Amino acid sequence: MTQKVHLSSVSLSVEGMTCGSCVQSIEQRIGSLQGVIHIKVSLEQKSATVLFDHSHQSPESLSEAIEDMGFESSVPESSA
Amino acid sequence: MTKHEFEVAMTCEGCSGAVTRILNKLGDVKFEIDLPRKLVWIESDRDVDVLMETLKKCGKEVKYNGTK
Repeated sequence: MTQKVHLSSVSLSVEGMTCGSCVQSIEQRIGSLQGVIHIKVSLEQKSATVLFDHSHQSPESLSEAIEDMGFESSVPESSA
Repeated sequence: MTKHEFEVAMTCEGCSGAVTRILNKLGDVKFEIDLPRKLVWIESDRDVDVLMETLKKCGKEVKYNGTK
C-alpha cells in the first residue's frame, strides 16, 4: 500500500545566528523532527529552507520549534 | 535560591544569545553566562532536571556541574 504524503517547502527567516555551530545545531534539531525531510540553513541569508510533510508539520510549527531553540524566527507572508 | 552550575557547549555569541533567550522565556530565574569558559550559572528554585531540559532545547551538549 502506498502512503500519500503532502510535501511542502518553506523558507523561514531566522535571526540570532552568528556562526556555523548555530547553523549546525538548528539543522540537527529541526532536521530530526517528525515530518521534516530536509533542512538547509543559511547564515548569510538568515533563513532556513525546510522540506516537510504537511501531515506532521506546518510552517508555523517549524517556526515555533526554531523559536524554542532561542532564535527568532518568522514565517514569510508569501508562503501560504 | 540555589545556584546551579552548568557547562553548555557554546561556541559564539549566537549560542549564548540563544541560551539567554531560552532562559528568559522560562522566567523566574536569575542567570549568568561565561562564554569563554562555557559556563552558565542559574539561580532558581526549579528542579535541576527542568533547567537541564530547558538548556538542552538549544541543541547543545549540557553538563551539570553541581551547586555553587
